[in-house]
Amino acid sequence: MADKTKIAVRLYRFKNRLKEQVSGLGGGGKPQISAEALAEAEAALEAMSEDYPDWVSGLIDRLAEQHRRCVDTSEDRRFFFEEISDIAHDMKGQGGTFGYPLISSFAESLNKFSYSKGELTDNHVEIIKAHVDSMRAVITGRVKGDGGEIGIELSKGLEKAIQKFKAREGQSASTAATG
Amino acid sequence: MDYDFDRLSVLIVEDSPFIRSLLINSLKILGIGTVIAKDHGGEAIEFMKLVHSDPMKAGVMRIDIVISNWKMSPVDGMMLLRWLRRHKDSPDRFVPFIMISGYSEKERVQEARDQGVTEFLSKPFTINHICDKLVLIIERNRQFVHNHNYFGPDRRRQKTSIDREDRRLLTEKSPSVEVVFG
Repeated sequence: MADKTKIAVRLYRFKNRLKEQVSGLGGGGKPQISAEALAEAEAALEAMSEDYPDWVSGLIDRLAEQHRRCVDTSEDRRFFFEEISDIAHDMKGQGGTFGYPLISSFAESLNKFSYSKGELTDNHVEIIKAHVDSMRAVITGRVKGDGGEIGIELSKGLEKAIQKFKAREGQSASTAATG
Repeated sequence: MDYDFDRLSVLIVEDSPFIRSLLINSLKILGIGTVIAKDHGGEAIEFMKLVHSDPMKAGVMRIDIVISNWKMSPVDGMMLLRWLRRHKDSPDRFVPFIMISGYSEKERVQEARDQGVTEFLSKPFTINHICDKLVLIIERNRQFVHNHNYFGPDRRRQKTSIDREDRRLLTEKSPSVEVVFG
């Protein structure tokens, strides 16, 4: 009698075709990526990084444009914040690769902040501007890596600006509640 | 011994021109024979269909590895992955898939894993990170699992013993488990 057991799980075990494809002829030992090619790829990335400030300046300009729209057309802020969040998401994923981790860090902060579901006030718009200004300073000053003293100052400056506008926001909210 | 990547074909799907150029250049320098790039998931799907229906026109016989960004418009990396793994028109449901993403939250990684991603590469990445993922894909040939709610590489990567109750209901010896060799 035929086995009528219903198959619930299928496991596919295929031979490692990919490995066969990349295993060169001759030579023993553990296969690895050519150290020479790796160094060459690193050098190419280094060369490309020189163009990164120009590229990212375009993205910072787009952020500044969205910020300006938030100021000019406050009723559409939700839409502009979404745009800002998207641009910041991309920037967050790129800066570190090209030697500008501060851009990634500020963009991450901006991405999280602009993703806000709450009310979008003038103070919130100012926090967007503080991020844009800080990023611009990183690129204008070519602040690579952690930026040393300048990097610390820029990070502190941004944090201070965020706290200032958050405090203002708190004051406005309590005035509105008691007023 | 160095790997010889000359016979490999890799499809890159990335909407950022700057990151796309970086990936193309890096893979070519590392010796990958054929590197093809598309702007988003929709273009990638059309291209994969073409590879299947008319490889001469596509300029490549098959795609060995897909490297895709997650957040793209109109068709993102997750939709592309789902199509490749589950759609009836997919030319290769087993193709290794590296998802690149600026999303670093645990839930996002879990989501990609549950859709059958092979490796996850967090942005920002380095050349070394790319190389590490390539080596993992080549050296760790995981079995594929197909059950009622999952199709993709085995999500249990390690054969370490489980120090708690083993919740797996089936093993390869169970009558309802079929092992396919190929």
